[in-house]
Amino acid sequence: MKQLAAGVVLLAVLTACGNDKSGPNPMVSAIGAMAKDSVAKVKARKSGGKTGGKSVSVEDRRAELEKAGKPILRVSSKTLGQTSLLTVLDAKGDVLTWKTRDGATFSQRSGVLIQTRGLGADLMSAEAPSVGQLMRPGTSYRRIYYFLGDDDQGTRRTYDCTTTIVGKESIEIMGRSYNATHVSETCERPLGKLNNDYWIEGASIRQSRQWVSGAIGYVEFQRVID
Amino acid sequence: MQLSPRHVLSSLVLGTSLCSSPALAEMTKTLNLNGTTGLIDMPSGDAQDDATFSFSIGNIGPITRTTLSFQATERLSASFRFQAWRDWDAVIPGDAKETDRSIDLRYQVLKEGRIAPAVTIGLIDVTSRGLFASEYIAATKTFGDKLKVTAGLGWGRLGSYQGIGSPFGSRPPVDPVGTPNADQWFRGEAAPFAGVEYKINDSWTLKGEYSSDAYLMEDGERGLIERDSPFNFGIEYQRGPAVRFGVYSLYGSEVGLAFHVILDPKSRATGGIVGAAPVPVKARPARAADPDAYDGGWVTQADAGPILRENLAKRLAADGISIEDLAYTATTVQVRIRNGRIDAGSQAIGRTARALSHVMPASVEVFEIVPVVNGIGASKVTIRRSDLEMLEYSADNATLLRERITVTDAGAAPAFSLGDENLYPKFRWSLKPAVRLAEPAKGDIGLRLSGSYDFAPGLVLSGSIYKQLASNRDSASPSTSVLPHVRTDSGLYTEFGDLGLERLTLAWFAHPAENIYSRVTFGYLERMHAGISGEVLWKPVDSQLALGVELNYTKQRDTDGGLGFDEYDYDVVTGYVSAYYDFGNGYLGQLDVGRYLAGDVGATVSLDRVFANGWRVGAFATVTDVTAEEFGEGGFDKGIRFSIPFNWALGTDTRRGFGMTLRPKNGDGGARVDVDDRLYNSLREYHTDGLDPDWGRVWR
Repeated sequence: MKQLAAGVVLLAVLTACGNDKSGPNPMVSAIGAMAKDSVAKVKARKSGGKTGGKSVSVEDRRAELEKAGKPILRVSSKTLGQTSLLTVLDAKGDVLTWKTRDGATFSQRSGVLIQTRGLGADLMSAEAPSVGQLMRPGTSYRRIYYFLGDDDQGTRRTYDCTTTIVGKESIEIMGRSYNATHVSETCERPLGKLNNDYWIEGASIRQSRQWVSGAIGYVEFQRVID
Repeated sequence: MQLSPRHVLSSLVLGTSLCSSPALAEMTKTLNLNGTTGLIDMPSGDAQDDATFSFSIGNIGPITRTTLSFQATERLSASFRFQAWRDWDAVIPGDAKETDRSIDLRYQVLKEGRIAPAVTIGLIDVTSRGLFASEYIAATKTFGDKLKVTAGLGWGRLGSYQGIGSPFGSRPPVDPVGTPNADQWFRGEAAPFAGVEYKINDSWTLKGEYSSDAYLMEDGERGLIERDSPFNFGIEYQRGPAVRFGVYSLYGSEVGLAFHVILDPKSRATGGIVGAAPVPVKARPARAADPDAYDGGWVTQADAGPILRENLAKRLAADGISIEDLAYTATTVQVRIRNGRIDAGSQAIGRTARALSHVMPASVEVFEIVPVVNGIGASKVTIRRSDLEMLEYSADNATLLRERITVTDAGAAPAFSLGDENLYPKFRWSLKPAVRLAEPAKGDIGLRLSGSYDFAPGLVLSGSIYKQLASNRDSASPSTSVLPHVRTDSGLYTEFGDLGLERLTLAWFAHPAENIYSRVTFGYLERMHAGISGEVLWKPVDSQLALGVELNYTKQRDTDGGLGFDEYDYDVVTGYVSAYYDFGNGYLGQLDVGRYLAGDVGATVSLDRVFANGWRVGAFATVTDVTAEEFGEGGFDKGIRFSIPFNWALGTDTRRGFGMTLRPKNGDGGARVDVDDRLYNSLREYHTDGLDPDWGRVWR
């Protein structure tokens, strides 16, 4: 038994080699990932908690982003415990697909979330309202979220939704203020209820908090650079 | 900071364990020391959730029970158990340890209703020599969301304490061993048992029971435990959805420990497949806006083919897909792909279609994607490019796309194809750690060196060598089988064949006619047998039924893992006629009739439940003209098998997995030569019954 345990340790250390690319050895990549994470943590601690060494003011950061001249979407999620700046991967008609550095994507039709990829519990597609629909409070409409459920079989959640206009609000996104109309969307089905919030500036969504899936929950979006 | 899939994964795993509470509002159907649904040592009337797969270790003093259980349907479940009694020679001299393997079956005849209790009828240790044999009927009723009460009646071991008489007559001895002991079932003394289960909160549960098992063998005959009392009680702790521990006071004298791992093959541990998002479909310019883009004149350019192929190969490499062949006209492209990594056929097809949308000139409207398995075109999925463009961001795009595509026979590669020159490495090799388990937690680990060389699509030379590094197997004892030792000397092959040639074969796969596939494999087919094996399969792409014939001539190899045939001087012609049927919902049946390795004639029935994510759990039984006495203790060949894909646990793209076949007893009857890449299972993934269950991943 002791011999076997020693062997298991040996196996964990050994990395498979060869040119047969039938996929990375999952055990090895998992261990590698853990090692990388802890190295990063140690580095962060050594640099006094500041990643990158010196702190940059919000204004400087915005100026830097504006100089790059690319549209930026800021995404944050409590479930994922982080915030990230996304760039446009694909633009087709009124659909923009935003990409994280690690290759996860969020697709929005005029700012309304319709797909995600690479998050695990992804939103595969959605029948979602237009901005015009969101701005018509009191009228009810149907919303359908499509997922891959048990054993990767397609599943859906169908809701009846309405919106209410909460009012004009001033919001701040990375050091800049915007005047927007806060619209709250309430969706119900026999098994549950969800709430999406949008801050609409003219005809476009400046900021929103939208539901993605059961496991991911809500994600916040802020359009930083147009 | 960035949103990394890995962080998502860890947060999800955490999330899953934290969020499990609401799902447990209904009382958990718990497992007992025997690894089956029940109280502490007694069964209950409950059943696990459909498809639950559990691994349990139960310890009662010097007795250890290791059990795998599978809820095969909502009502039917089966278990496979290894039981070991230590200190077996405490009173009667002999071996210090006794081991036994047993199979249980249970069927829930009544589901719990508002008033009705859940009622289950169960058979424990249905085929072996009966050290653990018992039958029962148990009823369980839940009161509120905290309390569960169970009462039942047991026979056999479960009828051995304070019996109430023999309602169905006396219990005959087990004969012959290894076949279903149907004449014993529900015979002899019956005795009542009962118990309660109280849920303190989502993590902690109290249990108490009155046991009807007198432990006659362990207490009376062998002096292993003291059974002073029929009462058992204890506490269980649930950690997340997958792990459960139990500590018990048993029979007034012993401490019992239980550990369970409870898996749900239907939902990935990570909540979904992770890995990078696909590239967006590339939209073509509108025909009216740019009619020139749609001009098909490019096909006349001599270098168009190689350039397109190179560009496509570059894009597909990111997903572990390689190109076997490419053919095109101004309007249609056919690409033959080899999917090396993605576990879902539909996702490999989707990724290929996306790549084609970037590479092919605008005039190409029809994408024909042919997944190739072992050089054979498994099927042809035809997608119109405009559908792909139009549906990318549509609601329910998976269903809509499925309605617009066709899945047909792959046919031959078009005559004008570019051919397979330099498209993928012809020589592939790997050196990987490997595990060979003889039973759960028993076996050896080592290194496997594998290599293969593709002479042409479908003509492959391949082989592997295995070197053991560490082992906890018991040392091999010579077989006493009266049949040719075609399987029972496997221990000798392990012991003497260390650094052994496992396989060295030349295989030729072909798709000679519509719906017909063939395979010929020649060489060292497996560790114990070498020779030639041929197979022909009839399987239309959208048919639930497939038919096959197989013919083999093999000689038994030497045990030293070398190339010789001197030790056994045994050769045999074996062959089968097979029918495969897909019953739907993942249930696959197979019937083989023919001649087996020991020269015996008979039939094998197997039933597997397969999940779209690659999980597979099944059972098989082979009955041949070998008598139960000739076969040995097992009676006839039977067992269970399962395979668990790594991607289910890790969420990453990989086609690798872990699998095992477990038999109560190895015998020489009903054995088949173990050839790699039999046709049905390798092709099925890309036929409609393999593609459709997880078709949604085409957009993943």
